[in-house]
Amino acid sequence: MTSPPSVSPGRDIRVDFLRGLALWFIFITHTPGNLLAHATLRNVAFCDATEVFVLLAGYAAGIAYGRMLERDGWLTAGARIAGRMGTLYVAHIFLFVVFAAQVGFSAAALNQAAYLDELHLDPFGNEPYRALLEALLLRYQPHFLDILPLYIVVMGLFALALPLIRRPGWLLGLSIAMYAATRLSGFTLPSWTGGGWFFNPFAWQLLFAIGVVLGRADPVALARRFPWHRGLAVAAFLVLLASALALNLVWHGPGFGLYAPERLAAGLATVDKAGLHPARLASVLLLGWLVAHLIPRQAGWLRHPVPAAFVLMGQQGLPVFCSGIFLSFLGRLALDQQSGALAQVAVNLVGLAALYLVGLVSAWYGGEGKRKAKPVLPVAAEAARP
Amino acid sequence: MSVMRAFAKRTLAGLLLSSLWAMPARAAEPACDAPAEALEAAPMAGVFAALAHTDLRILVVGSASTQGGGTSGPAATWPLRLQAVLAEKVRPVAVQLEVFGARGTTAADHARILAEQGPRVRPHLIIWQLGTVEAARGLPVEEMAEAVQGAVERLRAIRGERTDVVLMDPQFSRFLRGNADVESYRDWLRVAAAASGAQLFSRWAIMRHWVETDRIDLERAPRARRVAVADELHDCLAHALAEFILDGAQRGRRHRR
Repeated sequence: MTSPPSVSPGRDIRVDFLRGLALWFIFITHTPGNLLAHATLRNVAFCDATEVFVLLAGYAAGIAYGRMLERDGWLTAGARIAGRMGTLYVAHIFLFVVFAAQVGFSAAALNQAAYLDELHLDPFGNEPYRALLEALLLRYQPHFLDILPLYIVVMGLFALALPLIRRPGWLLGLSIAMYAATRLSGFTLPSWTGGGWFFNPFAWQLLFAIGVVLGRADPVALARRFPWHRGLAVAAFLVLLASALALNLVWHGPGFGLYAPERLAAGLATVDKAGLHPARLASVLLLGWLVAHLIPRQAGWLRHPVPAAFVLMGQQGLPVFCSGIFLSFLGRLALDQQSGALAQVAVNLVGLAALYLVGLVSAWYGGEGKRKAKPVLPVAAEAARP
Repeated sequence: MSVMRAFAKRTLAGLLLSSLWAMPARAAEPACDAPAEALEAAPMAGVFAALAHTDLRILVVGSASTQGGGTSGPAATWPLRLQAVLAEKVRPVAVQLEVFGARGTTAADHARILAEQGPRVRPHLIIWQLGTVEAARGLPVEEMAEAVQGAVERLRAIRGERTDVVLMDPQFSRFLRGNADVESYRDWLRVAAAASGAQLFSRWAIMRHWVETDRIDLERAPRARRVAVADELHDCLAHALAEFILDGAQRGRRHRR
């Protein structure tokens, strides 16, 4: 997400590739009704693209701000992070406005009033001015607009803990302590509509911190610390497979006359997303370990055009992320109108092509070594392309 | 006299059950061309046992759709239509149905209602419609699942296997789909059902099928036809639900043997 100013020779493009993939998945799962959503990570694992995104955001932030800390000191690096938080905040509010417009449009286009009485409970429809204020305070986060607020708060925590990145043990220890305290106490940030934030930043910061430490670590030392072990890999694979089977048995078994034991389902019912349940954490870390060893660092196929497109998208994290959310609103409108195969293919092809274009424009526009202001408004970036 | 009548009723009910038993797994065409796989139920021992006696007590709890949902009146809503459709199919067993619901109520509200009314009504079947309000408001999915698990557990403590619980998910709507993370709520309803020994009647999947096959599409109905389409929708839902329940009862028998 926070791409380093220039592409360094030691840059691990596998990370960019995976981040590009996660951004694409986020676009897909944020377009409800998109059939491709059945092919994303969330269908086969406890974790989903959000975990991958946060982990890799931490990875990139560790590299970028770690360097800045060493070069310019805490104050400067901290100020840069604060600036980044400002950018994220503005992007979030922009997307919120797009969201409100899209809801209004859909509500007028569809007979929702007759259908779902309950949607009058939609906070924006009921109290628009209050909703606006609550959105500015990040206390009102409509569905699908919950990742950026998480990211903003986690970046704030990161700015405070920045000097600790020289002492990864301390950083991880503190982060784990905060995670444990959060999970035990249930502490979270309040939300206007009831309950806490969709993603509790005080729990999710652990994943980001792990990313930071991994990003800062020497790859050789890291490989020595977590070496390839065939037996362990088989075990990890079996654990992931078992969780995929268990999840799908509970979700889809009844449709085929298969019923999961109550105990198994009761166990799955404890795996919460808001507080980043340990099973979700373990799932993304196991996947990460497997992928890191199964894809060689210099894998030739990553340079083929299609994977390379995802690498590019991953390198331009923020603009591509925001465009993805923006495009998902358009995708929703399209799928509201048409639901056939043609509409599905069109939404996905146009969506992916647009994400790639945004990445391309952003790389060209902001990729001159010096960090110029990156385009916050994805449309503007797209329109800027000749 | 009344003993005789009860005896006759019982014998008739027995006959009815044996005819149920003899019925093929799916009776000809599913109601309103609903997708057959959505009408397959797990065994319902409580309903099966009730059908061998004189009456079937059903308790419906839910939010707005139980109370009107754009239909021409209470008699046209799916709960009361279900009562009528079922009564027809299980005669001479009497179907008693009580509806407790209100617009905007959540799973936690429903759990409280069940705790109050469960011991009084002693239902053989609970139909619990939930998830729409949670999804529309973005309430925590885990709390919704906990409410279901807790409520069903308390019921089991009192009623044992004599009460079957069927959860019903939200109505399909493009608007809701586009503006709420419905899939997550549906996933959690499936988990909650599986974790508590309840089952899920997927109104969402059935209605989506009707929309995709241009059978019933309330969101696209012209203003003048809205009430008529809503009535048709609720009637079709009632028929589909009745089939689901009778499928469960039939399996409940096999389950017992």
